[in-house]
Amino acid sequence: MIEHAYLIPLIPLAASFIILFGAKEDPHSPLPWVGIAAMFFSFCLAVSVFWDFAVGTLMLPYQHDWRWFSFANSVAGKSFIDSFKIGVYIDPPTAIVLVVVTLVSLMVQIYSLSYMHGDKRFKRYFAFVSFFTAAMLGLVASSNLLVTFMCWELMGVSSYLLIGFWFEREGPCEAQKKAFMTTKLGDSGLYLALLMIYAKVGSFQFPQMQQFFSSGYMPTTAATVIALGVLFGAIGKSAQFPLFIWLPDAMEGPTPGSALIHAATMVAAGIIVVAKLYFIFLAAPLALETAAWVGLATAFLAATMALVTYDIKRVLAFSTVSQLGFMMCALGVGGYTASLFHLTTHAFFKALLFLGAGSVIHAVHTNDMREMGGLSKKMPITFVTMLIGVLAISGFPFLSGYYSKDMILASVWHHNHTMFWILLFSALMTAFYMSRLLFLTFWGNDRDHDKFHHAHESPALITAPLAVLALFSVIAGYGLARDGFVEKIFPTPVLASASVAVEPPSRVSSPEARMPIESSEYSSPIAHHPVEEAELPHWLALSIIGLILGSMMLAFLFYRGPQFQTAAAIRAALAPLVTVLDRRWFLDDIFLWLVAVCDYIAAAMFWFDTNIVDRIFVDGWGLLMRIFSEVSNFIDWNFIDTAVDGFGGLSNDLGIGLRSLVVDGQVQQYLMYAAIAFSLAATLILAR
Amino acid sequence: MTLERYLMVSGGLFLIGIFGALTRRNIIGILMSIELMFNAANINLAAFNHFLHPYGAVGQTVALFTMTIAAAEIVVGLALLLAIYRNTDTTYAEHFNLLKG
Amino acid sequence: MFESIAFYALSALVLTSALAVVLHRNTVHSSLFLGLSLAGVGGLYALLGCDFLFAGQIMVYVSGIAVLVMFVVMLLGRASDLHLRQVNEFWMAALLICTIASAGLYKIAHAFSRSVTGAVATASTDSIGRLFLGEYLVPFELVSLVLLAALLGAVFFSYVDINEALP
Repeated sequence: MIEHAYLIPLIPLAASFIILFGAKEDPHSPLPWVGIAAMFFSFCLAVSVFWDFAVGTLMLPYQHDWRWFSFANSVAGKSFIDSFKIGVYIDPPTAIVLVVVTLVSLMVQIYSLSYMHGDKRFKRYFAFVSFFTAAMLGLVASSNLLVTFMCWELMGVSSYLLIGFWFEREGPCEAQKKAFMTTKLGDSGLYLALLMIYAKVGSFQFPQMQQFFSSGYMPTTAATVIALGVLFGAIGKSAQFPLFIWLPDAMEGPTPGSALIHAATMVAAGIIVVAKLYFIFLAAPLALETAAWVGLATAFLAATMALVTYDIKRVLAFSTVSQLGFMMCALGVGGYTASLFHLTTHAFFKALLFLGAGSVIHAVHTNDMREMGGLSKKMPITFVTMLIGVLAISGFPFLSGYYSKDMILASVWHHNHTMFWILLFSALMTAFYMSRLLFLTFWGNDRDHDKFHHAHESPALITAPLAVLALFSVIAGYGLARDGFVEKIFPTPVLASASVAVEPPSRVSSPEARMPIESSEYSSPIAHHPVEEAELPHWLALSIIGLILGSMMLAFLFYRGPQFQTAAAIRAALAPLVTVLDRRWFLDDIFLWLVAVCDYIAAAMFWFDTNIVDRIFVDGWGLLMRIFSEVSNFIDWNFIDTAVDGFGGLSNDLGIGLRSLVVDGQVQQYLMYAAIAFSLAATLILAR
Repeated sequence: MTLERYLMVSGGLFLIGIFGALTRRNIIGILMSIELMFNAANINLAAFNHFLHPYGAVGQTVALFTMTIAAAEIVVGLALLLAIYRNTDTTYAEHFNLLKG
Repeated sequence: MFESIAFYALSALVLTSALAVVLHRNTVHSSLFLGLSLAGVGGLYALLGCDFLFAGQIMVYVSGIAVLVMFVVMLLGRASDLHLRQVNEFWMAALLICTIASAGLYKIAHAFSRSVTGAVATASTDSIGRLFLGEYLVPFELVSLVLLAALLGAVFFSYVDINEALP
């Protein structure tokens, strides 16, 4: 099946075009089923590829390239033909990410059939979702970094379209612009990294680049610059500190679209690109450290902000940012396996949480958690699935989040203890605010009787995807973590130069072939991250479970009553801090202030340009030139032209005079004059 | 034998050609004199080639070009002469004064 | 020795027959002398070792151009021409010009009085052919165009509509 892997992104793409251009807009259009069928097909393909790999009948990585275009190039005086290829490159992480993305997208589309029912741009929404997913699949599966970048930008467009889906309202418009510009700011870094990679490596094929970097041809400085560029792109796309400001605002879009953005496509792309280019980071330790600290800051700040928010979707948004921080931090400390594992599990439970939140919002028609409460009686299925999602993200034992978050904490523990404690605190905050969300929404009594009265359980089209995702949230962690399967899927890449014995630089997947690499890995001084064999000390692991349960209990105590007086009291006591958190650490204000400062600088520059540069240099120079040209015109007209006319007149008069010598027009007389001239020339000049 | 002798012969031939071109009344005579001048030039080319550059053949090649052009010239000239004669019934140069300004 | 004799004899032939071309009253005789003079020039070529040029001279000038000139002379000539003066009134001036020029030409020629050659003349046809088809290929092809144009021009100028010519 893997030879048809190129169909995985192409079929949703075709479906999106069919949906977009296939028929007229109609709130009850049947066309979304085309997108669902396409996504199901892609899902089946991806699952078959992954299954073949999992049972061992397929060797990954698989690569197949087609010729794309070529052009003549010249480097250091030597010219040669640069040939670009387009194709698929599927290694084990790619295989599982393809499964996750297609599954989540499929669930989101089925869910949206009910959620978006009757919207006046019903069909268009599904076209956007299909397109978005196709771009993500292309980004994941491409063998060419240029195509990956292309899909990256296409995702930027798709997120713009999806966030601003209800563009009649002002909020989505502003949010879509903010998202687009912020991510573009990050993209500039990735673009510069791309340029530099091409200048240095001369190829965009992942295997070639990997070979180049891991053979140590790249100087560390250049690798660091490139890696920082890639990291900046990921900071924009994956909503890391300080560019995460766009993600909370992106909640203005339709809720299933947010689920897609948060779980499967947009924000995962940054992590995935960093993971795909991990060999660059391995060659640049400084960039790795930067990524770790950026991730840590993001995880912590976003978690604090989630503590005080009452908007159910924003809580989830901050939680996404925080979890992405976990992943980035894990990548930074060398926990490649842990990071991608968490990406996978996070996709399931975050999609579940968003869809569940959508179900709640669908029922009560508000985002504010203060107006909810007691909904577990009205919406039991949603409640149970949400409960599973919350437990999974909090790290409740034996649910998926427990395994992946544990792995991340373990890898951080072995890197830096300070980072570990901060990250652990963030994880505890995660447990707290997720429990808070659950209690506020489903627990206690109804606070708004009217809304409570109208609330009802969502239809099967909404609850069925919830159930499926809940199932995966439960089993994904254990299923992947069992017998170290996760390390087979996400083997940590190493620098090939670290040991001469390692022959292929690509990730080797079969266990027999991995053995010598691991043994050489121990002996190598570089790129040695003792993560795989590392686990948390037992006392620490057990106390983490205890702490998480404790923080969940704390949330229960705070938000127990109908009016949650305890929480309100604490909130009042810590008013300045709460304000800071409510204002999102003033990051938005800082950015606005930066823009204002830039505006002032631009205005000053404009004044300088118009009043000084233009006045003195441009106008003055023009005046000087004009005077000069007037003078030169005068000289030309009066002296040079007169001289020219004089010569012409002289020749004319001379010709007329000479012609009168030969009256008859006899040819031999003319010849005679020529001969006289010749004889004189021969005698006086030539033979002098 | 020196190059000087050849140059003198060619010079003499050239001067005779000039004299003929200046003095013959008949247009055919003028054309014949021009041929003499061409030949004087060709003798020069061949002689220079022989004396100054004995192992090359560029002079002879250029002489052959000259010869070709001369042949073309005489053919066109004679054809013109025929046409003129048919119209004006004369071949004497002094009867034509269309160049008179 | 033989070379000198041949050279002087051919030079005398060339110059005297050229003078006859220019001075002879009868144009037919003039054209005959032209052929003779050109043949003498051909002889000089042979003496210079230019075998191909010699052959070309004989074929193009002596058997081509001289015969053509003679043909035209006979076509246009009239009996009355024999009684007319064939030299115009400028002959004194022309003679003067020639005398002045001869002084210059003599001085130029004298500059080469030391030039002798020890080289044995070899067959040059081969190298001419190489030059024609190598370095001078473009001029060679252009000359063929010139000849074609001359051919067309000659036909154009001498063409007579037979219906107009014969009343």
